[in-house]
Amino acid sequence: MAYPNRGAQEDTSAALVSLVSFDDEFDPLAVDDTEIDQEWMDDENPYDTIDYPTMRNMPETVHHEPVYSPERQGSATEALRALVTHNPNRRPVLMNIIGLCENGCPSSVISERVDEWQKDNRSVYAPMTLCRMLERAGALRLEMPETTEACEVVEEGVTYLQIKEAVDPLWYATDEALALRAHFLEGSEFRSIVIESAESRYSDVYVAVMEALAERPRVLDEIEDVASSFEITASPKRYGQHFIDVLESCDCVRWGNNAWNLTELGTTMLDELKAQKEA
Amino acid sequence: MSETAASISAETKTEATPDVAVLMDTRAQLYGMLARLFREEIDLATLRELQSMRFPASTGNAQVDEGYHQLFEYLRRAWDDSVTELAIDYVSTFIGHGVNGYSAAYPYESVYTSERRLLMQKARAEVLATLRENELKRGTWNEAEDHIALELEFMQRMALRCAEALRDDAEDEAIAYVRTSYDFLENHLLNWVPMLVTDMRLHARTLFYQGLGQLLLGSITEDEAVLRELLDSVA
Repeated sequence: MAYPNRGAQEDTSAALVSLVSFDDEFDPLAVDDTEIDQEWMDDENPYDTIDYPTMRNMPETVHHEPVYSPERQGSATEALRALVTHNPNRRPVLMNIIGLCENGCPSSVISERVDEWQKDNRSVYAPMTLCRMLERAGALRLEMPETTEACEVVEEGVTYLQIKEAVDPLWYATDEALALRAHFLEGSEFRSIVIESAESRYSDVYVAVMEALAERPRVLDEIEDVASSFEITASPKRYGQHFIDVLESCDCVRWGNNAWNLTELGTTMLDELKAQKEA
Repeated sequence: MSETAASISAETKTEATPDVAVLMDTRAQLYGMLARLFREEIDLATLRELQSMRFPASTGNAQVDEGYHQLFEYLRRAWDDSVTELAIDYVSTFIGHGVNGYSAAYPYESVYTSERRLLMQKARAEVLATLRENELKRGTWNEAEDHIALELEFMQRMALRCAEALRDDAEDEAIAYVRTSYDFLENHLLNWVPMLVTDMRLHARTLFYQGLGQLLLGSITEDEAVLRELLDSVA
């Protein structure tokens, strides 16, 4: 078969060669490949094995970039908004950390407080992991203090090295994070989701649920009873969990002591919702 | 009572035994600490405890000194987030993610003493037999008996039993424990720990695990000399 354009074919071959050629930094299959023919491995020779490159030896391009970062979402505000939206269970804790770090807060204090906040809502995230997540999202910055000089103590003729003061770095909330927190705390999320959107058709249900919670903390079954007493929740079916999810994402309810509790913001928003309905 | 026991018994009267008992307590503390650090990742409470400890600046053993200095340097800069860093380093140092047998410093004697670097080989059977001979068993911890942490804990137990025997004036028993410790050190720990520590140097990224390796090797080398001297003195 004759090729009408041999020059073009050569160009394609060259491109293919460059596509499959390995760059110098990352070449997993090249490890020992010149010395070991895997088809003819010697079972008796412990050194006759395949090796794999370790992650630390891989080029930076292979490493994962942060999921929520100003670079990816466009700004620290958007990165933080995405972080709390996709981690609704951690939302109160993340927002509390930002509040705590308004004027700088030592790591040890954050750890202590976060453990306290998460006692009713266990998490796989350690307090410092949450801080690192916020740092990657541009919501916190870390200030490492200078380490103290090595301290030598002489006792009974023996010199010992001793740490006099453990390092306790300070975390500071960024302006963007503080602004977004203030925005959330003044109820803007509740207004845009419950009052100003299609969700407003359930405003009677929201009032009933929030009033029930204002009386005392309730479990989901009780919320379910309140929600199902309204005709509008029958079709399409809206379960009590839906209203709790929405209220939780607006910082109006919080899980604590094995029940749902109305927050301070929730109480304010209940009054506003009732006033809105009366108007 | 044997002659050797009688010689220790004579020393008891000259307050030599309390010194040896204290030496055994110190050995037990060191082995206990090493066993804990190799057993699992460091948690915050352990980190805080390590930071509150004092490290001898100069012990006369270069490897022990290097180990203590590296540990101290790391701990001096360590804070809450270091727990995560150490957990990551523990996994990459002792577990790794390869399948070729060379991707980590595997903390099992069998890996370093079997031809194909496999787990559960002759070394594990020997350690198991030694544990049984000494009326010990692994408990609920789900690792092979030849794990470094268990071997170190065995040394700790022997040191504690020896100290207790000395305080109870059971000299024969005390000598037997010293001999068991020495034999175990010779036949097991010194047999493979140098290779483990070489691999730790390759795989550990933090000064903490680099230092821990040096401290372990220096300590067991030093301990061998101490135990040999004790046994020579009663021979």
